[in-house]
Amino acid sequence: MKNLGTVSRRTGALLLSAGLAVLAAACGSSSSGSSAASGSSGSSSSITVAVAYPAPPKALLAQFTAQTGIKVTWVNIGWDDLQTKIAAAAAANTYFADAADVDWSKVGEYQKTGWFYPLNSYFNVASLKSDMPQLNTFVSNNELMGMPFDSSFLVTTVNTKDFAKAGITTMPTTLAGFTAALKKVGAANGMASPLDIHFATAEGLSTCWYQMTAAFGGQVLTAQDTPAFTSPSSPGYQAMAWMVNAYKSGLVPKATINESDYQGFTTEMARNRVAAEMCDYSGSVASIYNVPSTSSVVNDTEYIPTPGVTGLGQNVANPDGIGIPKTAKNVAGAVKFITWFTNTENQATWAGLKGANNVVSTFPLPARLSSFNLMGNIAQAGQLSTILQAHAQAPFPNGAPPWYVQFSASVQTNIHEAAAGQETVQQAVNAIAAQVNQLKSAG
Amino acid sequence: MSAARRGRVLPYLLLSPLVVFIGALSFVPTADTAVEAFFRVMPLDPPNRFIGLGNFRALFANPIVTISWVNTAAYVVIGVTASVVLGTAIAVALKQRFRLRGVVLALVILPWALPAVVEAVIWSWIYNPTVGVMNSALHSAHVIGGYHVWLGLNRWLTILLIEIVQIWQITPLSAIIILAALQSVPLDLYEAARVDGAGPVQSFLRISLPMIRPALAVCAVEALVLSLNIFDQVYILNGIAPLGSSVMLQTYVTTFENLNFGGGYALSLLVTLATAVLSLAVLALVYRRPEAA
Amino acid sequence: MAAAQEERTARAVTRVAAGPAGRALSRKPARLLGRIVAIVVILLWSLFPIYWALNTSLTTLSGADSIPAHYFPSPLVSTSYRAVLGIGGAGNGISGEFGRSLLNSVIEAGLAMIVTVVIAVLAAYAFARLQFRFKRVIFVSVLATLLLPAYATLIPLYRIMASLSLVNTYLAVVLVYVSGFLPLAIWILYNYFNTIPRELEEAAFVDGASPMKALLRVIIPVAMPGIAAAAIITFLLGWAQFLFPLILTTNLATQPVTVIVAALNQQRIVPFTLLMACGVIAAAVPGVLALALNRYLIQGITAGAVK
Repeated sequence: MKNLGTVSRRTGALLLSAGLAVLAAACGSSSSGSSAASGSSGSSSSITVAVAYPAPPKALLAQFTAQTGIKVTWVNIGWDDLQTKIAAAAAANTYFADAADVDWSKVGEYQKTGWFYPLNSYFNVASLKSDMPQLNTFVSNNELMGMPFDSSFLVTTVNTKDFAKAGITTMPTTLAGFTAALKKVGAANGMASPLDIHFATAEGLSTCWYQMTAAFGGQVLTAQDTPAFTSPSSPGYQAMAWMVNAYKSGLVPKATINESDYQGFTTEMARNRVAAEMCDYSGSVASIYNVPSTSSVVNDTEYIPTPGVTGLGQNVANPDGIGIPKTAKNVAGAVKFITWFTNTENQATWAGLKGANNVVSTFPLPARLSSFNLMGNIAQAGQLSTILQAHAQAPFPNGAPPWYVQFSASVQTNIHEAAAGQETVQQAVNAIAAQVNQLKSAG
Repeated sequence: MSAARRGRVLPYLLLSPLVVFIGALSFVPTADTAVEAFFRVMPLDPPNRFIGLGNFRALFANPIVTISWVNTAAYVVIGVTASVVLGTAIAVALKQRFRLRGVVLALVILPWALPAVVEAVIWSWIYNPTVGVMNSALHSAHVIGGYHVWLGLNRWLTILLIEIVQIWQITPLSAIIILAALQSVPLDLYEAARVDGAGPVQSFLRISLPMIRPALAVCAVEALVLSLNIFDQVYILNGIAPLGSSVMLQTYVTTFENLNFGGGYALSLLVTLATAVLSLAVLALVYRRPEAA
Repeated sequence: MAAAQEERTARAVTRVAAGPAGRALSRKPARLLGRIVAIVVILLWSLFPIYWALNTSLTTLSGADSIPAHYFPSPLVSTSYRAVLGIGGAGNGISGEFGRSLLNSVIEAGLAMIVTVVIAVLAAYAFARLQFRFKRVIFVSVLATLLLPAYATLIPLYRIMASLSLVNTYLAVVLVYVSGFLPLAIWILYNYFNTIPRELEEAAFVDGASPMKALLRVIIPVAMPGIAAAAIITFLLGWAQFLFPLILTTNLATQPVTVIVAALNQQRIVPFTLLMACGVIAAAVPGVLALALNRYLIQGITAGAVK
């Protein structure tokens, strides 16, 4: 039997004091946390913002607080998780944030379900259109569901140093030429697999397929939202076959099967294990590849126009937006924040106008053309804006359908399985097409 | 109130918080799951309506769900067998007292005490296909020719490696329980066997094993429940890909990503029943009163 | 007669001290070597991943993702920890996030521990010492919930909390934890109470104490080791929770460290070195507790599993 006397009393005292400490901590944080009350911003002096980007620099947020008296709590979750949370909170009619991410792909869904406020009364669509080329993406049935806060689109990025080693200084404009060049680059740099494409079962894979389809000169859905990829000669089918073959043939490292988009950028491209990315996001050069502490390719990377079938291909635009969920507590505060976050000067600041200390990490391009004018050639803005204006296109001719989430889930899963060898490209195509037809008939 | 009356009421008073908690937060939700499994519950498609076996039919028609069932069966078989066998081996190795045994035991328990999610993140780094230490060590030892992709390509390899992470966590539990059981086996039994000329292996098989049967049963059931429920490790190591998906992961995906709550309920109900049946089966098979030697 | 008795006792003591196998600790070198090898292997197996996390967290990214791997941190730096702990203003906002999630874990696991133990002590006492109708039924029903997988209650609990607007509150998380941990805590305490001789309470009754007084003044102080065991196991279980808080918490106000570490694993740009530093810190709290209180932990685990 243990010595019950002293040990037990001491343990008891220990437990009791620990317990009191915990209780004190809980009560103490209930003002900034949420113990019995629900949500963390009941007063008019604070808002919660939930978008899939890291927060702007503290100093600038503090300026916002000083100007408006509104304190900002930033929620930073990965994109896939964030969409899940937004949907779950909306479905449960629970407060989640005052200003939340509205992805281009969710506009149709949010307009149909009514989960977000239309912003027409706060922002004038007609007058903003000229400054924000992608505003239309966020309008569904004449309702503005979110304000775009970046001009993200998919790009091809190359490591010019690696390419130069193979004697290539002019970038190919066709996919065939690009593939041949990659093989040379791989040989010259000791890279068995010189290209990165991310194949993890996540949204990034779906978006990559839309981009490769654009490179092949088409889109994956028709204007009536029916499958446009079922015929083997269609751009969508060819793009999928090209991606799967790139994986199987070893053009792409085998490790990418479980790498998400950013994992691919940071592990493969930024560490110089590959020489090119075909589904990169505009902004990676400034925010990932040129960051000395985690990248070994500083100043070696560049955006190039996407190679296509017979000449340059298109670039799929996937802008991010910010909107106000119906369960928001501080709508006025959210409006003020959105106005601030998307104004001309700040948009340029997030992209690098005021130096590397004031950027929003991984921020691509500003949503406003007026911001471009402020930026000159900082962070390859000029190059990107050329690509944006000449080659960017929307992923779907009819905007994102309301059932986009289930569609994308089917796309990610099937392409992943095809690359991993568990099904053929034909089977993947059939499965996705079947899902589209089912979703359309369910209305 | 008289002392006698108080005495009769007291037990119920003492139990009331327990009953309220378990009743409201365990029984009611379980009943809710059982009932709503037969309804169509989708926030994107209100209102909720009765559809009989509709959810179940949709589940069985879904190949990904079928894959996850088979995967989970594999997780259970590997997990229960390995953790009980390894746990027994560790217990036998630590049975005899030695000077720093207390320290060793404390260190052995460590994997059990840490959060599964954190462990999964660490193991995912160990398994990393490009720069992970497992690749590095095996390559340096000339066991493999080049660096391999361990997770996501080969189904059984993925399942095995994910389950190893769970086994790493739950084996200490088995080890401790079996060790305690071994230590309570009466010494004269071993003495008698020794006198009869039995070696250590024989006395283990003939004496220890039967005597610790109840403990083995407890360990097996614990491992069964944990491996049947496996989520954290699968989610971290392989995401939501179908290849290594477990039923729990599918429940999460169905409910919170596809927002098909009815489907989630149906899957939950099936697994709850499976757990109950399997646990009772394991108990019946393994647990038998130890006979006197 | 007494001498023979003493001799037998002495031999028995020697046997016990020598080990349950009944022999003196073997001095055969092969056996000894075998045992040492076994113990080293067991320790390597148990500790290597933890060591590896430490190794990765204490070096730079280039040192961590080298091919082949470095088994010692080279170079040895503390930048990751400084970033996570917010020392020197470094970091990309991680320290605020991470620090807050640590606090949340402490509060959620701590409160769940306190509430669970209090309720479990009362209930276990009733089961162990009192006679009343339905005792067996209630007892078995409570223990049966140990076999309930998380599925059975996950979604309904989420919807219950959502309908009460309790999503993303400490209250919801703690309530769910308590309901999940009660059966195990009761089991541990029930078995522990059964080892306490009834004479102790009976002495108190003779002195005129009521059952409640007896519980508070006599049983609980004596049962402290068992209570400590139930407490620490409950705390560890609470700290390790992932799926429930993933669903019940939506932002930093209540997200525990497990959810944050998983989020960092998926996030945009978190180098492995930083991720491992977070993992080490997240594991350090339960790890240190488990090491320091391992005696109670072991006692709790074996309670009732071994008769």
